[in-house]
Amino acid sequence: MGLANSLDAYLVLSGALFAIGTFGFLARRNAISMLMSIELMLNAVNLAIVAFGSFVPALKADGSIIALMVMAVAAAEATVGLAIIIAIYRNRKTPLVDEYDHMRR
Amino acid sequence: MNLLIAAIAGAIITTPALLVFVLGGGSVDDALFAALATLMLTSALLVVTMRDIIRCGLAMIVAFLALAGIYVIVGAPLVAAAQVIVYIGAISVLILFAIMLTESKAAPSRLVFQTQAIPAAVASIILAVLITLGISATDWGAAAVRFRLGTEALAQVLFRDYVLPFEVVSVLLLAAVVGGVFIAKREPEDPS
Repeated sequence: MGLANSLDAYLVLSGALFAIGTFGFLARRNAISMLMSIELMLNAVNLAIVAFGSFVPALKADGSIIALMVMAVAAAEATVGLAIIIAIYRNRKTPLVDEYDHMRR
Repeated sequence: MNLLIAAIAGAIITTPALLVFVLGGGSVDDALFAALATLMLTSALLVVTMRDIIRCGLAMIVAFLALAGIYVIVGAPLVAAAQVIVYIGAISVLILFAIMLTESKAAPSRLVFQTQAIPAAVASIILAVLITLGISATDWGAAAVRFRLGTEALAQVLFRDYVLPFEVVSVLLLAAVVGGVFIAKREPEDPS
């Protein structure tokens, strides 16, 4: 079987997680839900990077290090994103993105 | 009732592991991988489909925890530790705080999904199928075994070859913190 020893298993898992995140980003109405879906997608990409790093000999340490950098950038993204959502919520009193339609009217 | 739900959840998570272990003749690692992958995908689906957004946040923590377990299996224990500290310890708490700041009892969210939810589901299923086809059609030149990398070897590479990106990331984090505080800060009342 060798599920844990094949690169394809990890990559397919990461692809499935990415697709779930894509669905959440496209379908949810709440801005924070969309941000959570983005976090899921970032985690999926991180899983693919780490899997490459530990299966491809030429990428031995680089995979883990790039994954750590992605984590730091994701933390920065979450900070600024949530601050923007809170600032919008203070003005519009709703976290639902389809009610942010000032520029369409 | 709660006991029943817990039993069903446990069955969903352990069945693939048992299938891999007993029927497929896999090792303990394979069974662990199957269980953690099922747990992660199930809780990720709960994150994007559940109605109560606080529960979505808690399911997201479970998904991150299962992913940390998968990092341990794949042979990157330092990344797993960083996953627990950064994602579960920091980002999840930040998101839960933002949920509490933006959710009020007076305005419950009526509909969870946009009107385009069904096309979005179709599109993401197509995306998953395409990714799977692409993965299986490509020869990655991968080794048949995963190698485990010690923290010391990782630190050697990180602080020799990747020093500049490391410092840039620290500056980026500082800028993000300052920017987040500035954006989320309440405007002072105008005296005029």
